[in-house]
Amino acid sequence: MPSHFLYMTLYALLVSVFFAVLWRRDRREQLRLFLQIFLGMVGGGLLVAWLMYPFPFGPPAPLL
Amino acid sequence: MKTQAEPQSPSPTVSAKTVAACVAAWLVPGSGHLILGRVPRAAIFFVLILLCAFVGVQLEGKLFVPQENAPLSRLGTLGSMGMGVPYFVLRYAIEYEGNLKSASYEYGSAFLLTAGLMNLMVILDVWDIGRGTKD
Repeated sequence: MPSHFLYMTLYALLVSVFFAVLWRRDRREQLRLFLQIFLGMVGGGLLVAWLMYPFPFGPPAPLL
Repeated sequence: MKTQAEPQSPSPTVSAKTVAACVAAWLVPGSGHLILGRVPRAAIFFVLILLCAFVGVQLEGKLFVPQENAPLSRLGTLGSMGMGVPYFVLRYAIEYEGNLKSASYEYGSAFLLTAGLMNLMVILDVWDIGRGTKD
């Protein structure tokens, strides 16, 4: 069963590990950057999803 | 009269080993770092980039190829080709294209493109390490 949240989290995990290793050399700094990017991506994604919730894709619902 | 010596700017040199490492880094993700002796980082980049491409294929994402009247497809192709040999294996050996009807098509496309872009950044890292501007 495909899960949008799972895909998003997996993507955030790969990207955040990548940038932490690429941009930082010290282990503590790597962990810190990893958490910043990972939580920023997942949290930002959830925030944007929540903001878009009142605006569903598709034609407007018919007026009653 | 100057009382202090002016700081000298570093003069990084580009050796043949650096160029070879960059080419190798493009062909096989992580191999550039391996040539420069950064074994743990080489292993991490190798696993990350191939895993990213593998997930993209599993999600049946789009592998960018140039299309007529679609200039952005050329950019996407260049980005995807950044992953090196895996791109050409997917495109020519396996003839992988992706599945537009798959529910995870867009996600897979993002994973595949990201794999290429990540390796391009790894090549820049190899370049910096080879020139001595980065450890």
